[in-house]
Amino acid sequence: MTVFKYFIRIALRNKGVILSYTIIFFIFAIMNGSGTIQRQTNFMETRLDIGIIDNCNSELSNSLKDYLGKKNNIVDTMLDEEYIKEQIFLEVADAVIIIPEDFGEKVINKENSIKLYNDDRKVESLQIQNQINKFLTFVNATYENGEFNLVDVESALDEKAKVELVESNNVSSNDGITMWFKYYFNFTSYVIMAIYISAIGLVMTDFKDEYIQSRTKISSKKFLQFNKEMYLGQLVIASMITTIFILGSIALKGKYIGEVNFGKYVLNIVVFSFSALCLTFLINNVTRNKFVINALSTVLSLGTSFISGVMVPQQYLSEKVLTIAKFFPTYYFVRINEMTVNSFSDMRFGISMQLLFAVVFLLMGLYFSKTAQKA
Amino acid sequence: MKNIFRNCIYQGKNLFRDAGFSFWSLIYPLIMAVFFYITISGVMNLELENINVGIDSENPISYILEEIEFLNVHKVHEDEVFKKLDDEIDAFIDDDLNIKVKESGINQTIIKEVVEQIRQMKKLNRPFDKYDFSVDYILGRNQKANSLVIVFYSLIAMVSTYGVFAGIEVVNLIQANLSNIGARINITPLKKSKFLLSGVIVALLLNLFANSILLIFIKYVLKLNLFSEIKYSAILIIMGNLFGVALGVFIGSSNKKSDSVKIIMAITITLFLSFASGMMNPQIKVMIDEKAPILGKINPISIITNNLYRINLLNSTKSVGEGILILSLYCVALIFTSYIFLRGKNYDSI
Repeated sequence: MTVFKYFIRIALRNKGVILSYTIIFFIFAIMNGSGTIQRQTNFMETRLDIGIIDNCNSELSNSLKDYLGKKNNIVDTMLDEEYIKEQIFLEVADAVIIIPEDFGEKVINKENSIKLYNDDRKVESLQIQNQINKFLTFVNATYENGEFNLVDVESALDEKAKVELVESNNVSSNDGITMWFKYYFNFTSYVIMAIYISAIGLVMTDFKDEYIQSRTKISSKKFLQFNKEMYLGQLVIASMITTIFILGSIALKGKYIGEVNFGKYVLNIVVFSFSALCLTFLINNVTRNKFVINALSTVLSLGTSFISGVMVPQQYLSEKVLTIAKFFPTYYFVRINEMTVNSFSDMRFGISMQLLFAVVFLLMGLYFSKTAQKA
Repeated sequence: MKNIFRNCIYQGKNLFRDAGFSFWSLIYPLIMAVFFYITISGVMNLELENINVGIDSENPISYILEEIEFLNVHKVHEDEVFKKLDDEIDAFIDDDLNIKVKESGINQTIIKEVVEQIRQMKKLNRPFDKYDFSVDYILGRNQKANSLVIVFYSLIAMVSTYGVFAGIEVVNLIQANLSNIGARINITPLKKSKFLLSGVIVALLLNLFANSILLIFIKYVLKLNLFSEIKYSAILIIMGNLFGVALGVFIGSSNKKSDSVKIIMAITITLFLSFASGMMNPQIKVMIDEKAPILGKINPISIITNNLYRINLLNSTKSVGEGILILSLYCVALIFTSYIFLRGKNYDSI
């Protein structure tokens, strides 16, 4: 087992790559999960943090403030544009509104009256517009004989719809802990691909060094045996890396495992790891240049993560991007993590696609290695 | 002076022909920019999908719901509600106008708003033509900010530090224990300090050149207008370059690892700092600001990103001075420690 032994030894000499990715990954995973995760038991409406500056201070403006205060958290702010923008930038406030002096008049005339600064980075911040417009439309509907009937508006707005959260037998996709596992494993795919390509790739470049190859060729070691040991080495290193991340999830959130479909994540990441390993095999047969391998490791891992929905959820990606993403296993991996799986048949498609990619990468790799041998 | 100039030319040629430099400094940023653009433009052009809502066939408000454009109304039997909520519908509205949901999300909140509004209008009891929903009472929104731009600021911040690769290369050339050329240079009358200085100048110039290509690419190919204020933006980018080169010299001189390992170190450090400044996912920046605000204040890439954003979108130059000061401190500290590693050494054998 000389080849195997040296494969592992060289791989461990390159532990810097593995360690740096792993450590950074876990720092983020720990920070992300340090908040307490609660099971959702009530229907929660999104509450925004808003600042209100009232230059009018009339009955109408106070009534608007009361209404917004019921639906949102009010934060302190100042009448200084720079200060307001900074507050929104630092996400102290999601939106700040300024009520003008001649507010009542403008409302009666149905003019634009309220100045709004909102955080365009957050879709939810649009909610505040709807709340203001609804309130003022209602107020205007009660306008008779020169005055508003704010009491009626207030009591009408107190009318609520009862929302009942039905207990789900599936784990809901919005549940804090499910979200954590989903993100954890999605990001794992990025890290695994980056580490596989660069760590295993760097070892393989040492093995494919011309001098080393000439020496191994004249040794008594059979070619088949040599390859077997080398691939065993790759498999061992790859399994080690994947195991670290699976164990990591248990170490960080082990007590919640019963609440999520842990089997799904493990099976999925194992299959993904296999296809990432096959991709590494393909790359190793295409190039033996350390520099190209480093570049590919960063570009492929980041690139596929971006287009497949690891960084930004798939629902936000455009059709075109997703069409490209379908040519990489990461897309199917993320799909499985995102969906609620009741039985194996739900994930069969995604799993088989990943395996199919593995086979394709393997065959392509073999083709390149054959052509290289002939040359 | 003539010496420095000649060294600059040699080192410039050398660096320019180096595949590492051309890839990481020139091509990689463009690839990243394209990735960002295609992903995030999807988010920006997001069209809200219709919301699926279930009702009983007897529901008193079914005719109103069917009028609402963004709702798909499904007739669902009471017994099936539980099952249908799993995938087909986002919420179920019963005959008393109460709602059943399985999760809290934007769609559910919107349905709740709709139902509540119907109930409230009933209670307010005014003729329907009194409501004028076409009026917009909001004036002058803050339209300038958009998340696409922010991500690009962090990309620019990241690549402005990519002088790090050139920094590593320069040290590699002058240290006798790192490369053959280094050993040869050390026995020539060539002054190491001058060689280093010209290396730093070259690294700075070439990286600034690479940055300009990225900026031109963003402006003319992706058609994004990022800069409204030039002076401070330029100073910040130059400071980023300086920091990058200083970091490179530090990584290069502080250890004896091989070139490729040093490059991986450089990529990991800059990628990590950019990640923490919200390049991949803005949520991460928010999380860090919440849990460990000091990290955001001292992270050089965060400093550049945040200040570019403040200067160009918020028209505020308040924190620029502080940012530039912190970046300069980093540069001084890195160069000073590197100097300790770089000082004249004797070797009995190499």
